[in-house]
Amino acid sequence: MNIAFAPRPAVLTLEADDAFVTLQGVTKVFGHGKRAMTALENVSLEIARGEFVCVLGASGCGKSTLLSLIAGLDKVTAGSIEIADGRPAVMFQEPALLPWLTVRRNVELPMRLHNVDQDQRNQTANRLLAMVGLVDFADHRPHQLSGGMRQRCALARALAQDSELLLMDEPFAALDALTRDSLHDDLNRIWQETGKTILFVTHNVREAVRLGDRVVLMTPRPGRVAQMWDVEITRPRELDSFEVSGLAHEITARLRAGAVGNGAE
Amino acid sequence: MERNKLRRILRAAWPRIVAIGILLGIWQLLVIVGVQSPGGEPLPGPGDAIGEIGYLIHTDVLVPALVQTLERAAVGYVLALVLGTLIGLAVVRVPVLRAGVGSLLAGLQSLPSVVWVPIATLFLAIGGQIENAVYFVVIMGAFPSIAMGLMSAYDNIPPLTFSLARSMGASGPRYYRHFIFSAALPGYVAGMKQAWAFSWRSLMAAELIIGSTANSGLGQILDNGRSLGDLPEMFAAVLTILVVGIAVNDLVFAPLERGLLRRRGLVPA
Repeated sequence: MNIAFAPRPAVLTLEADDAFVTLQGVTKVFGHGKRAMTALENVSLEIARGEFVCVLGASGCGKSTLLSLIAGLDKVTAGSIEIADGRPAVMFQEPALLPWLTVRRNVELPMRLHNVDQDQRNQTANRLLAMVGLVDFADHRPHQLSGGMRQRCALARALAQDSELLLMDEPFAALDALTRDSLHDDLNRIWQETGKTILFVTHNVREAVRLGDRVVLMTPRPGRVAQMWDVEITRPRELDSFEVSGLAHEITARLRAGAVGNGAE
Repeated sequence: MERNKLRRILRAAWPRIVAIGILLGIWQLLVIVGVQSPGGEPLPGPGDAIGEIGYLIHTDVLVPALVQTLERAAVGYVLALVLGTLIGLAVVRVPVLRAGVGSLLAGLQSLPSVVWVPIATLFLAIGGQIENAVYFVVIMGAFPSIAMGLMSAYDNIPPLTFSLARSMGASGPRYYRHFIFSAALPGYVAGMKQAWAFSWRSLMAAELIIGSTANSGLGQILDNGRSLGDLPEMFAAVLTILVVGIAVNDLVFAPLERGLLRRRGLVPA
């Protein structure tokens, strides 16, 4: 049983040319002086090309901060972040679709921003809309879509950025369980088809275990990497399978222990 | 088919028809009761005013005045739009300007633009040429609404839109075109709509007060009526001014705004 999810040391070193994203001693402090709040402290992490890494933690553990630092939306206070190539694509907790554009136009937007010609844009948009199952909704506007469809559209748009690295900030947190489950299936399939490197932030333990090659557990105040698990369960995984539940159970126990520890302060 | 269309138009129009009917009813009632001016002239009824409009059209007074006024309204409004947009953009772009100019704009917006009329007359209405003075009053009346509309539209852009734009690496003109202008458009159009109301009021004040021997628009018909003690002419002018104000709003700005909001799912389709 332990073979399936062997705990790993908190700091992992890969071969230098394997690492696609390298975080070294990343620290983020918000505010100054007495009001300073350390959101992240000394976070080191390496992500291999094509790897699916889930960062797991309770709210306030700095996982979203970590993601926005990697996305380049904010600057580190100390430490460094290196990405082997390109600007990462980001998917937010909210779909953040532009309400004045149709689904197709939303998907095309990153390509329009980067001078991709009309034919190429059309082709890519068609392919991506098919990939996320929105072909029939291409000419709808975001407000006409369900929550799940909006996130599918946001996913297609992120993929249209043609970035090797996809950062996902609790993208399915606001969806109902059934919709989330089908999006998990699709994301798993799309990841396998495209070979993207994915960093997926979530507070949902089972979601992390179901999707990730690796689960990185963070503890709050200040945000630190507490522990990592390799998830070697065969894909595609079922949310309520014995293996997924087993590892989720173990991680939850570790999460609780951390929470109790922090509750004492 | 035709009948359905007619029915739909009627269904949309009936609250307005009823409102106008009530208004005309009250007006007619005042006439029946026998309201008089202190000089003993009876209040003209809706029929008298509409008859007078017909007469003014027939004698070739109303249409040239209307054309003149609308021309001024259009030119003044466009100038206010350009100025308001430039100032709004500057305030949005430069944080230092915001603190100072922001509150000044709010002040200017609440300042009745008729107060500019004497100053404009003195400085700009030279040698019987009143156009510049009229434009000045209209611009002062309308541009703060445009600038304020743009500012609040910018302030109401969801923060996530900025994050999204940055995460996609949008910059320069593309950033403005694809994110900022598009996101701010409904608020900007709301400002345009309000600016129309302000510019129409300002124009009437200017035309009414800044007299001229030349063809002087609707405001001068009203002033003419006053100086001749011609009550039907005054009411005909007021009615025309009201109808133009409503028509421009209902035929230009309201559909523009409604279309924008509907496409974004902000009003039921």
